Amino acid sequence: MENKHITIFHGPQHPGITGNMSVELDLIGETIQKATTHVGYLHRGFEKLIERRTVIQAFTIVCRICVPEPDPNEANFAMAVEELAGLEVTPRAQYIRVMVLELSRLAAQFLWMAGQSGSIGLYAVGQWAIADRDLILDLFEELTGARVYHMYIYPGGVRRDLPEGFLERVSTLLTYMKKRLKVYDDIFINNASFKSRAIGVGVISKEEAVANGYVGQVLRGCGIEADVRKDAPYLVYNELEFEVPTQTAGDVYARALVRRDEMDQSIHILEQVVAKMPEGEVMIKMPTHRKFKLPKDDTWVKVESARGEFAYYMAGDGSEKIRRMQVRGPSLVHAFTLLEDLLVGAELSDVALIMNSLGICPPEIER
Amino acid sequence: METMMFKQIKSHFATDDVEVKRNDLYKVGVRHERLFELIHMLRDEYDYKTLNAITCTDWIEEGHFALTYMLTTEDRKHTFMIQTMINREDAHIKSFSHEFKQAEIMERDLHEMYGIDFQGNKNLKELSLENWVHTPPLRREFDTLEFVNNNLTFREGRDDNIDTKVESKRLRALKKAEKEAAKKAKEAAAAETVKDEEVKDGK
Amino acid sequence: MKWSVDLKGTLSPLSILTAFWQKPNTIAYPAVKKETAKGYRGFHTNFLADCIGCANCQDVCMNDAIDMIKTDKEYNAKNASQCIPRIDYGRCCWCSLCTDVCPPDSLKLEDDYLNVTKYASDFLYMPKNKE
Repeated sequence: MENKHITIFHGPQHPGITGNMSVELDLIGETIQKATTHVGYLHRGFEKLIERRTVIQAFTIVCRICVPEPDPNEANFAMAVEELAGLEVTPRAQYIRVMVLELSRLAAQFLWMAGQSGSIGLYAVGQWAIADRDLILDLFEELTGARVYHMYIYPGGVRRDLPEGFLERVSTLLTYMKKRLKVYDDIFINNASFKSRAIGVGVISKEEAVANGYVGQVLRGCGIEADVRKDAPYLVYNELEFEVPTQTAGDVYARALVRRDEMDQSIHILEQVVAKMPEGEVMIKMPTHRKFKLPKDDTWVKVESARGEFAYYMAGDGSEKIRRMQVRGPSLVHAFTLLEDLLVGAELSDVALIMNSLGICPPEIER
Repeated sequence: METMMFKQIKSHFATDDVEVKRNDLYKVGVRHERLFELIHMLRDEYDYKTLNAITCTDWIEEGHFALTYMLTTEDRKHTFMIQTMINREDAHIKSFSHEFKQAEIMERDLHEMYGIDFQGNKNLKELSLENWVHTPPLRREFDTLEFVNNNLTFREGRDDNIDTKVESKRLRALKKAEKEAAKKAKEAAAAETVKDEEVKDGK
Repeated sequence: MKWSVDLKGTLSPLSILTAFWQKPNTIAYPAVKKETAKGYRGFHTNFLADCIGCANCQDVCMNDAIDMIKTDKEYNAKNASQCIPRIDYGRCCWCSLCTDVCPPDSLKLEDDYLNVTKYASDFLYMPKNKE
């Protein structure tokens, strides 16, 4: 009986995890008795780095806090600075910001599909998802000058105007995506092997989800219509029409269906943005970086990222430097409170499946 | 609904520090002895069931930490920021981990970064920093530039940096001095020619 | 997990076989190179006939990556300090804040991004002198 009890580390170098963290598992046979999360491999100290830099210098490093989806960070930072300084952004800049955020959400959901399918061995789906995500990154390269870390949503507007013919290229890509997502339905979402692995695994109850502060697809997979774009609308989301998809089962398969429906909704929002894009300036006049001072005040802003509610706390102190910026990503509570709970009683081969379906992103846990 | 809530808070907790920041964000300041009472009241009577985040700001000039608790209603439409001040030296406060499960990891993070003791939290182990023995890093007295200059070595090759303001001043002064010297030399040469001509005439 | 007959779920993934007669997504690098978009943030270029040595770029660089060093000859008579920027690519993050604040607009980013070298000292990059 003694030899059955072993402790292994799942990570930090493991293809089945979504980033760079490890979970220490106590096993009897292949059933998990206790799980402990360990992070710390990606601590870069962003919140301390901000203290020595002025506001515009800090804007350039904020996007690196979350690797799969950098744009909600930039949007949050810009919205917090604008709220503290009392700046108003032009309508064209707000529509361009919505377009960038929705394109980034689509790219992040493709990355999720690559991770989820890889965790059960359907590697072909993952490689196709990365190739399709590349087409979105081509659009970003044209618009912002870089493929992943855009540094585009600036406090006061956006950095550059749309290039010539950009909206036509976006429309062509959306038509292609609508056809292409049906292929993913055939080979991944309706795949019998995915269904038999995912149904009934990693079930979360509704009451626990609300009380413990879970966000994103965890809530939507349990039947709660939670979306910051509907509950507390920001930018121009109150002028756009979209739905919030939900499922009731609360397991891995329900969360996958929610994500698949969200990709359809993102395409729907992008079509509306392309049709409604107003004319005008994209940037308001801003003071030079050593003269841009923030008042002594604080605020809390939030944005719906592909994994859930992403929030920033920002406090200014009357000088040109930010006093405190705290990042509250969706994964902090999911990786510790939720994961250690869900893994008790699960099988060893389901660890990667559950981690991918929760959408845990280690860079934003430890910034 | 909100005016009734604000009236109750103002009268019950003897504070005027209630602020409406946006139509979905409110803020109140309260003394740390009555923090639990206020959060229980908001949670039980006004539906603020979810704890979203705990943040801390270091006001070193005023000698205290400002701890802020973010609570959200069950329909996620309103957020309340509850701020309380605790002493910087020997910072401690009672933990919320028995009432909100997610508070455990949030307090663990703040304990590591600021050195605040959350009494009652059983899991205040290290999170992101390994074997760290110096001051908790997010405190304002921890100077990262000084730490880096004392403990790490930089790559060679960048010693030829010049301060452009000093250099432009120096070059301008040099040019001015050259102009003066050239002027003086011209005047001296002109004086010489005049003297020569006088001598010639005199002859 | 019970096993039940799922005909659609078992047969529909076979549509992946159509990939055999589709065009591949990859290109034959290095024979065929991908075209970089206009406005890509690559390496720096500095037109020395316009550069006035004001060190605005050094002031705004958020990572202290720019050094101002003495020129070898006079490129621009209006350059008050006769110094030009040199960038440490070990620290640069290509945010292009330096190009935004350049008053004569001489510092720009081109679309070249490949640099392979054996020596770490090559990180100290002198921007190419072109328009």
